[in-house]
Amino acid sequence: MKTKKNRLFICLFAVILLFTATSSARVTPTYAIVNCKIIPVTGSPIDKGIIIIRDGLIESLGPQGKISIPEDAEIIKAEGLFAYPGLIDAHTNLFLELPKEETRRPETMRTVSAEPQQKEKAQHPDLMALKLLKPKKTAVADLHKIGITTVLVAPERGIYAGQSVLLNINGEIAEPMVIKSPVALHVNFTTASGTYPSSLMGTMAFLRQSFLDTEYYSSYKSQFSKSARGLKRPEYNPFLEALLPYVVKKSPIFFNCANLEDIKRALGLIKEFKLNAFLTGANEAWRVADLLIKNANVPLLVSLDFKPPMTSIYVNQGEELKKKAEEEIYPANAANLHKKGLTFALTSQGLKKPDDILKNVQKAIKTGLPKEEALKSMTIIPAKFLGVSSFLGSLEPGKIANIILTSGEIFDEKAKVERVFVDGISFEIKKPPKGEKPSAVNIAGRWSATVSSAMGEWESTMELEQDGNQISGNISTRMGRWEIRDGILSGNELALSISATIMGETMDVAFSGTAEKDSIEGTITFMEWSMELKAKRIPDGKF
Amino acid sequence: MTKRILVFAAILIICASLCLAQEKRTSVIAIKGANIIPVVGEDISEGTILIKNGLIEAVGKNVDIPQGAKIINAEGLFAYPGMIDGSCYLGLQEIGSIRATVDYRETGRINPQVKTVEALRPDSMHIPISRSNGITAALVAPSGGLISGQSGLIRLVGWTPEEMIIKSSVAMHIQFPSLPRLRRRGETQPREEASKQITELKEILNQARYYQKGKDAAKKNLGLRLPEFDEKLEFLLPVVNAELPVMISVHAEKDIKAAIKFVKDEKLKAIFLGVTEGWKIAEDIKKSGIPVVFDSLNSVPPKWEDGYDAFYRNPGVLAKAGVKFAFSSGSASLAKDLPYFAAKAAAFGLDKKEALKGVTIYPAQIFGVDKMMGSLEKGKLANIVLADGDMLELRTNIKHVFIDGKEVDISSIYTELLEKFKKR
Amino acid sequence: MQRKNIGIILVVSLVVFSSFSFGQDLLIKNGTILTVTKGTIPNGDILIIKGIIKQIGENIEAPKGIKIIDASGKYVIPGIIDSHTHIALTGTNESAEAITAEVKMRDVLNAEDRSIYTAISGGVTMVHTMHGSGNPIGGENIVIKTKWGKTSEEMIVHSAYRTLKFALGENPKRANSPAVGTLRYPQSRMGVNAIIRREFLKAKNYMEQWDRYLKAKKSKKPPKNLILPRKDLRMEQLADMLRGKMVARCHSYRADETLEFIKLSKEFDFKIACFEHASEAFKIAKELAEEKIGISVFLDNWAYKVEASEGIAYSAAYCTKNGVLVSINSDSNERIRRLFNDAAKAMKYGGLSEEEALKLVTINPAIQLGVEKIAGSLEVGKHGDIAIFNEHPLSAYTLCEKTIIEGEVYFDRAQYLKEREEMEKKKKEEEKKKVKKGGTK
Repeated sequence: MKTKKNRLFICLFAVILLFTATSSARVTPTYAIVNCKIIPVTGSPIDKGIIIIRDGLIESLGPQGKISIPEDAEIIKAEGLFAYPGLIDAHTNLFLELPKEETRRPETMRTVSAEPQQKEKAQHPDLMALKLLKPKKTAVADLHKIGITTVLVAPERGIYAGQSVLLNINGEIAEPMVIKSPVALHVNFTTASGTYPSSLMGTMAFLRQSFLDTEYYSSYKSQFSKSARGLKRPEYNPFLEALLPYVVKKSPIFFNCANLEDIKRALGLIKEFKLNAFLTGANEAWRVADLLIKNANVPLLVSLDFKPPMTSIYVNQGEELKKKAEEEIYPANAANLHKKGLTFALTSQGLKKPDDILKNVQKAIKTGLPKEEALKSMTIIPAKFLGVSSFLGSLEPGKIANIILTSGEIFDEKAKVERVFVDGISFEIKKPPKGEKPSAVNIAGRWSATVSSAMGEWESTMELEQDGNQISGNISTRMGRWEIRDGILSGNELALSISATIMGETMDVAFSGTAEKDSIEGTITFMEWSMELKAKRIPDGKF
Repeated sequence: MTKRILVFAAILIICASLCLAQEKRTSVIAIKGANIIPVVGEDISEGTILIKNGLIEAVGKNVDIPQGAKIINAEGLFAYPGMIDGSCYLGLQEIGSIRATVDYRETGRINPQVKTVEALRPDSMHIPISRSNGITAALVAPSGGLISGQSGLIRLVGWTPEEMIIKSSVAMHIQFPSLPRLRRRGETQPREEASKQITELKEILNQARYYQKGKDAAKKNLGLRLPEFDEKLEFLLPVVNAELPVMISVHAEKDIKAAIKFVKDEKLKAIFLGVTEGWKIAEDIKKSGIPVVFDSLNSVPPKWEDGYDAFYRNPGVLAKAGVKFAFSSGSASLAKDLPYFAAKAAAFGLDKKEALKGVTIYPAQIFGVDKMMGSLEKGKLANIVLADGDMLELRTNIKHVFIDGKEVDISSIYTELLEKFKKR
Repeated sequence: MQRKNIGIILVVSLVVFSSFSFGQDLLIKNGTILTVTKGTIPNGDILIIKGIIKQIGENIEAPKGIKIIDASGKYVIPGIIDSHTHIALTGTNESAEAITAEVKMRDVLNAEDRSIYTAISGGVTMVHTMHGSGNPIGGENIVIKTKWGKTSEEMIVHSAYRTLKFALGENPKRANSPAVGTLRYPQSRMGVNAIIRREFLKAKNYMEQWDRYLKAKKSKKPPKNLILPRKDLRMEQLADMLRGKMVARCHSYRADETLEFIKLSKEFDFKIACFEHASEAFKIAKELAEEKIGISVFLDNWAYKVEASEGIAYSAAYCTKNGVLVSINSDSNERIRRLFNDAAKAMKYGGLSEEEALKLVTINPAIQLGVEKIAGSLEVGKHGDIAIFNEHPLSAYTLCEKTIIEGEVYFDRAQYLKEREEMEKKKKEEEKKKVKKGGTK
């Protein structure tokens, strides 16, 4: 009897184990990457090395000969390839589809009254990037192509923009990617639309007052919880509730610094309210390097967006200087910070195209940032800043298998990422289809288009931009303005993907046709319908 | 009885002749002892200007003063010709933010039919202020649209518009794009180019020419159809027939070049207004023979590379290149500042004597009234200013102003309000 | 909380000052020195050591190695002070609400504003840069020196009065913005007055709450349910007004609204340093002189809106002659470079003497801003803030050649002309190269 019961329990136990084992994690193959040059970032490079990946982690790594290859390992021949930790982009805009901001005309002063407004209602510090997770279609492939395996994604708009999420880009489904949520509260030195604060000076006062109010709210709540008798119960305030973990409990806050004065503003607030905060954006940080040295305990994230801010003197002293600023001076930001002994992470924040990330890292290196520093600034340093360095940011046994294999040294002109591992899952980088040709014409500009279908004809205007054979832009119709993405002009063959929003629903609509210098013709397909599109170029100077 | 009548008649005759003599006396005025700056000709220290019937009868060191003339002792004072404002809104605006008081700007793009002299308000509070600072005539100009309307030349005294008008139609005003304004953040906005304006203008001028041809042909032949009346084209005829000059408000270098070519192609008479980047192509402007009226110099140059003093330097550079120029206030409430633009230009390189000419004889020449005004010369209108110093200086006080030989009231709302509240 | 802030400011300033070297050494020789307060020295020298004027007189011996400026034939005056501008700021108005006393110009300083250069090209060395006039109560202004090229912190003049911007009349009631004008209270002058009164009454109540709390806390038996009042930054600013820590700078045009505001200041016992613009000040010169309240005006900019339609050019001189402290301001990033021209007009319109006219843009604004100990005239012990002109500064033919702040030359016309010449040369050479290459134009 006893043994039967035991056997039953054992069986049940085994079943449960099996069940949990299968449902808890995807089963990933064991890999042995052989014969590659390993750059662990923490520790010396290994010329001819082996990395063993098991269960999503780096089991072991070391020089050839010292590491034995397990029987169940799939061998990945990596002769002539370099192995690096997967790059961490500690603040990116390129991954998610963020909701488009309603362009309602702020009927300026619509609700302005002499009474202090419900200004808090206009803010959304509780907006979670986690809830907005809708990765762009080609985002995963684009980022893997550059070697980025981990991204921090934050809501971008508003003074209190919301709270960010840290993702390991291990596929197309959102939830399994999440490493940490929330990571930080994101603050911009911008204004609220249509309400207070409508100016930067107002925003500064508003930030201070909201920090004071959060502290007050928290102390009142704790006083009430200690002895409620005789005290009015605290009013629930969702805005202050959202701020409480950051202002009182000192969870991290990211201050987005568009210019050098923003950096000063942020440091002032950090000091005044003893915040645990990071500086991000900061593409002219070098200009206040001395101040940053004094505040070296504040983590610095520096954007690879080299566009000088509008306030910069480099922008309003003539075209020549403006160009020099964009091409030489601002790209040297990281190099200059490094020269002053400052540590920072490099981010893609503000960049509109994934290709620009690599281009701009290369520019930063060309203007004087040592390559090893660039690599550190996208691996171990952001990992440390974000508190994940115990399992990310370098190639060490026990850490997560986020590895990139490149042909050529990383960031080199000719180097290409061949394969990427994220959480031990292998992604081979696809080459562009052989059939793609360079474009035969330049179709950038404004076009007047007529779309005809069984339901009739309608007019629209297209604005196209061309970068090599990549086409992007937008098409304006009576129903709104739709984004044109993923366009390829191969010879005279044009293929576009249009993100059409009709009655609140967004769907992708495909166009395929031919393009000449002044005319475009083709077919739009949408579900089972197809429509003809004919477009003529609008010459400059006319409307 | 007859003796009484005779005596009575004699007394009447004596009184009458005395009265006549009185009148004769006041129509002859002698300004004595002034330091005369005639602008054309040499300066005369302690000279005399003789005014008769509104005109300058004589100017010199030793001038015979007829008996009965009214003598004005001008010892220690300087006598200048009255200044001429090259473009302003006197009489067309009282308070800038109140549209009901602003009449120099119409709606629409093409308005050749409107004339500023037909909207003149002789009682404007700004006219006496300008006049009391030595300005005796002004071009009152329209603004807005592409073709804004016709400007006129007025004297700064008169009870009715008719009394003020010297020339009811001086030029047809055209607006080319202005330079972007320097906003506080230092950004400059993108600007359109004048090519668009020129295309539009060429078309409408051609239409006007066809219109003229059609009218001429119909006149000769009753059988032909008479072209229907077209207001815009009708009022552009004097322009295409080169009878009425165009005054083009133009600023950017590219636009000035295009404007020069446009004027040449269309065979128009022209004056340029503004010309803030003129210093970049002074030679071309000189070659074109087109005179220039400067706007108020009080703007900050939007392009850093042009230098902080670009607008101040501009007149000096153009004058050196031989371009005919004049200054303007471009204002109603600040029209009195006309002389100070000339002085500012002199501070930044314009010859002082040329600066003075830029507010006297040169505008008179540009507007075709130099036979009447612009200098203290025999035969010209007695528009004379008596000042206790250099007329272009800020600290100078104007003591007397004569327009058409009559001394004018130099009190204004400024002095009236001051006196009123002094009595508090 | 306030003491803490002051403490932070003190520590930061100490650190800030110790890390900056204050001013430079300079000797200006042989100029006509118009001290403004102590007469004219026809052929004089000024010695500046570490930014402070150490000596003014004739034939001063030059310390070894000092930088010398030869001012022969030139006129040397104190750096001009513009007591009402909006330059060097990112933004001017917080117009979403009518009362915004909590906003501070200190937070939005922009040292890269080109207008700072425009200012020094006209001999201006110090400005009071302010919140706009869109609100009955705007925000806290700030006084900075126009140290073009330096950081915003280095520009701040810490010893100036703290000032709060008030505005009356057409602007705060939005009379001239038809599109949005009719939506925000107040819409009338009576509303403007009422809302200012309301805010001060609120501030008094706020201060009373804090007083009661502190009293109760200190008492022998503090009540059990004693709670800290909420700290309100807007109320703190107004409380500072009532405590005398900040003074009012009030934008007004009409004589009547000016008098009403004086009444209001008496009702709540706060200090008015100055009325801005005060077009009709000449109508109430008597009252202004009695109350010892200054005005900061345009000389002759007028008739752009109804409340400025009786702003006569004689007002500045007339008020000066009747005992009012008058300064001339620009309130414009263009007019700022010709304040000396405006001052000269006060001689013509009202008969001020040369010295009286110069005071309008030097010592008078300094006194109004509380910086007369360090600026506004050329006296030993004051900062070496100086402007050098090629003709008498009150002549229409003059221009500013050098602008010096604390002994350092920030604007040098000779240098500017040299750079232009080199630029032109370079351009010509490049064009020659283009033509040589056979390129078409």
